[in-house]
Amino acid sequence: MTVRSLSMSLAVLGVCLATAAPARAHRLDEYLQATRLSIDVERVSLEIDLTPGVAVAPEVFAWIDTNRDSQISAAEAEAYARQMLHSVALSVDDRTLPITLVEVDVPQFREMSLGVGSIRVRATASMPATDSGHHRISYLNTHRSESSVYLVNALVPADPRIQLGGQQRDYAQHGLRVEYTVIGDASWARTCSALIGLVMAGMLVFTRWPGIKQGFQPSSLSP
Amino acid sequence: MGLPVETGRARSVMALRAALICLAIMCPIAVGSMQRASSPAPAASAAQGAVTARVVAAANAFLATLSPDERAKGTFGFTSSQRTGWSNLPTGAFQRNGLRFGDMTSRQREAALALIAAALSREGYQKVTNIMNGDEVLKNARGGRTGGRPGAPGPGGAGGRGGGVRFGLDEYYIALLGTPSARDPWMIQFGGHHLAINVTVVGPNNVMTPSLPAAQPAKYTLNGQTIRPLGRENDKGFALINALGAAQQKQAVLAYQVTDLVLGPGADGKVIQPEGILASALDASQQGLLLDVVHEWVGILNDEAAAAKMAEIKANLPRTYFAWSGSTQNGGLAYYRIQGPTLVIEYAPQQGDLDHIHTIYRDPTNDYGAKLVTP
Repeated sequence: MTVRSLSMSLAVLGVCLATAAPARAHRLDEYLQATRLSIDVERVSLEIDLTPGVAVAPEVFAWIDTNRDSQISAAEAEAYARQMLHSVALSVDDRTLPITLVEVDVPQFREMSLGVGSIRVRATASMPATDSGHHRISYLNTHRSESSVYLVNALVPADPRIQLGGQQRDYAQHGLRVEYTVIGDASWARTCSALIGLVMAGMLVFTRWPGIKQGFQPSSLSP
Repeated sequence: MGLPVETGRARSVMALRAALICLAIMCPIAVGSMQRASSPAPAASAAQGAVTARVVAAANAFLATLSPDERAKGTFGFTSSQRTGWSNLPTGAFQRNGLRFGDMTSRQREAALALIAAALSREGYQKVTNIMNGDEVLKNARGGRTGGRPGAPGPGGAGGRGGGVRFGLDEYYIALLGTPSARDPWMIQFGGHHLAINVTVVGPNNVMTPSLPAAQPAKYTLNGQTIRPLGRENDKGFALINALGAAQQKQAVLAYQVTDLVLGPGADGKVIQPEGILASALDASQQGLLLDVVHEWVGILNDEAAAAKMAEIKANLPRTYFAWSGSTQNGGLAYYRIQGPTLVIEYAPQQGDLDHIHTIYRDPTNDYGAKLVTP
């Protein structure tokens, strides 16, 4: 088919709609809660995107707009984010980690009413000092479970010292358990390699320096 | 008497020196290479260079149809924020920049489509037009506008033209980032509802990640023909999962539901921990089926660039995962993901609706040609 004929078919379209089902363009009656966990040696970062469907957007907006002025203030947004995070449980090796809100961004009602606006919650939790070896992180989100669907995933760690292992979730993805291993310190490895390089370079200089080199002359080894 | 000893000492010193030189050079290199990305930029062929020349010519022909004001509206700097300013959402829910098809003359539209056709394969271009036609079907099924609850305020403001979101052929946009060139990097950004095609051109290399082909309706009739814009993606996915043995399926099938794309718009640079079955655990026939599924996305781009990308993906096959969630009966609801060192593909029906499919195609090492563009 030529570009022109495709253009024509684009232009004349609109007459053959017999099989077009009633359309649903966007999320309707569900509250999508998508979480990404980023695991570091010192902290766990949470990126939580909350997207209310068209049908639940007014209800979600009402949860946040507590003074009913049809505007979301910074204080209301923060209060909602803290409330949401109270429904999140995070632990490492069965030790509960307190979660700290970093930032929250709430879209306009207009976007939410179209089923496309996402509330972005960013949070972090400090890790207790962890030894190298095997560990386990558990995450559970029960916020507004009556109307929500969930996604939760662990990001590949930026720190090469951390290697993720097995992951387990419940069917609805309320929760995620990630096994991971902390291996040798990469920065230590880099430092070590640099030191070895320096020592070797020093030895090279030593072997090439005439005064010292003399000490390696065969004659000096003779009795 | 000392000569043999002396010679041996001298040889030892020489050997030690050589070893030290080698170690001093190799040690930092080895450690450094472990810290860097494992996949270098692919080498490009002369045929790919010819494709770039063709795409550049089509881009210049399109630009020649524009007035100075239109050029200003439809072109951006290569490194501008426009590069990541794409979405699957319709106008009204997301305001695109660039030139709107509904505001173009027929000559400009044809030149724009000729540019898209030059950058894509024949099948890829057909897929794109099938997606666009599907949106026109959606528009007509909904009387042209939709979105929001009854009585809800329209988008207004920067979004536009009032009264909810808008669908249809007029609501696709094209933008060029950078100056079309056979040498310097530039980019074609084309999209609208359920479509985002980002083609980065760097010399002879053409890159089409990230891109988002989607479909709603997933099946419609046009001129007496049944069209399924993403029908092969569906059917080939089911063919693959059903070609696996029971033990393989057990590894591939996730024990949880996946209701949406994990790495959709806005998830640039994110790499999730892969899951599912490794392609190395598949036999040659099953690997062939997997590559056939992958080609449905990779093959949207022109044949020459797609062939190079497929070769790269094939080389990385032992480190590529296939994961499945949902029914294994074709016609049932299912999500799947293919993830390798230079590839992420997701196929995700929306909200349990088989008539509404979102997909995403990414290369975590080379989205927007990152591997090819010198910072």
